[in-house]
Amino acid sequence: MERLQIERIGGVAGFGGPHLKSRGELALSDLSPADRQAVEDLFRDPQKAAPAHPGEADAFRYRITRQTAAGAQTIELPGHAVPAALRDSVRDVLE
Amino acid sequence: MSCKCFIVPHEVLTRFAQDRELSAELRKGLFATAQISHELRELRGQAAKLTSVAVAHADALIELAPSPTVTVYDCKHTQTLPGAPVPHQGNSSDPTAKRAFNETTHVAKFYKDVFNRNSIDNHGMTMMSSIHFGSKFNNAMWNGSQMIYGDGDGSIFIDFTSGNDVIGHELTHGVTQHSLQLNYSDEAGGLNESMSDCFGSMFRQWEAKQDVKGADWLIGHDIIGPTAKARGFTCLRDMADPAAKHCLAPQPTQYSQITPGMDPHYSSGPPNLAFYTACKALGGKSWEKIGQVWYHSLTAFGPTPDMGMKPFADRTRQVAHTLYSATPTVAAAVDQGWKHVGL
Repeated sequence: MERLQIERIGGVAGFGGPHLKSRGELALSDLSPADRQAVEDLFRDPQKAAPAHPGEADAFRYRITRQTAAGAQTIELPGHAVPAALRDSVRDVLE
Repeated sequence: MSCKCFIVPHEVLTRFAQDRELSAELRKGLFATAQISHELRELRGQAAKLTSVAVAHADALIELAPSPTVTVYDCKHTQTLPGAPVPHQGNSSDPTAKRAFNETTHVAKFYKDVFNRNSIDNHGMTMMSSIHFGSKFNNAMWNGSQMIYGDGDGSIFIDFTSGNDVIGHELTHGVTQHSLQLNYSDEAGGLNESMSDCFGSMFRQWEAKQDVKGADWLIGHDIIGPTAKARGFTCLRDMADPAAKHCLAPQPTQYSQITPGMDPHYSSGPPNLAFYTACKALGGKSWEKIGQVWYHSLTAFGPTPDMGMKPFADRTRQVAHTLYSATPTVAAAVDQGWKHVGL
């Protein structure tokens, strides 16, 4: 079963550093057909995802990883380009 | 996270537009709504680009308002912007709304009184904030048009409006957007973040009437939640000691430690330390002279989106000489600050 690992980084506090982590994991089968297609489109061409809004700062970004036959594939996207189901899957932790 | 101005999320519209259980007519309408909404968002993006161009010609523009209107909206734990307008903002029974309104008003006064700047764009633009964004949202941000504040999860962070330096930090991103227009990546990104920490900290010190010795130079001290405090964390960042263990986001202290692709909240460490060092070297109040040098360097030369740290450092040295030619200790303090971080 294909799974996605999602990591949320950035924000004013600098998530993704040594102490602040925000991670989630989803089975692709848990997503709606529309969200599955959106994820497929993002992995196919992440450059096509909407860029950050001009002047935007302290927003979150998302790193999404999936395992393929060729190995792990990771893309990094601005938050507004990521389906809500993936954004909502992460939990913030202090390490 | 999504920062679009919409009521129904795009993915909801497209999902329902493909739902065969709905009538063809309904699906057609949903598809049309999704397309139109997309174009409206593109229009907003273009409007932001227009802002960038307009800033370059700001001297030719007339003033929007003699002083900015401050507005606060309540997202009510959704991610829909801007949210519902908050009535009686300055006296609201909601402490978050009251803080957001009052502190934003104070930041406007800070920029006016200290730097003679009329709001974020120097032409009196409205300063809009949305509070209670999302659920247990551990962030505050500037989305290119307005401020957004989360409530925190109550564990790692508390309400992000609790930190007046956080409010000053976010508003300063707008100032940067309407002046130097620094990108948000590489060295320019680190400078962008540093400007917000420097002016956010100056605002905090100005409100408390502190001099450089009395200031704590901590960013985000007032938003740290009980779980983080119990672990010994006192702030997001420490401008006086960027690598300190009490920082949730410890940073490099030397320019040579900045690596390509580093998050701007980490690459801001060396310019933060340079500013702090210059302020402490000169003494007095941070906003009176060193702050003026930084403000002039940020706003007086037009946009340079990809400005590097060395060129910015050199600019501040030159500005210090120009603005304070009769007081060479200012330029000496600025030089000391940058040399301390290897620039």
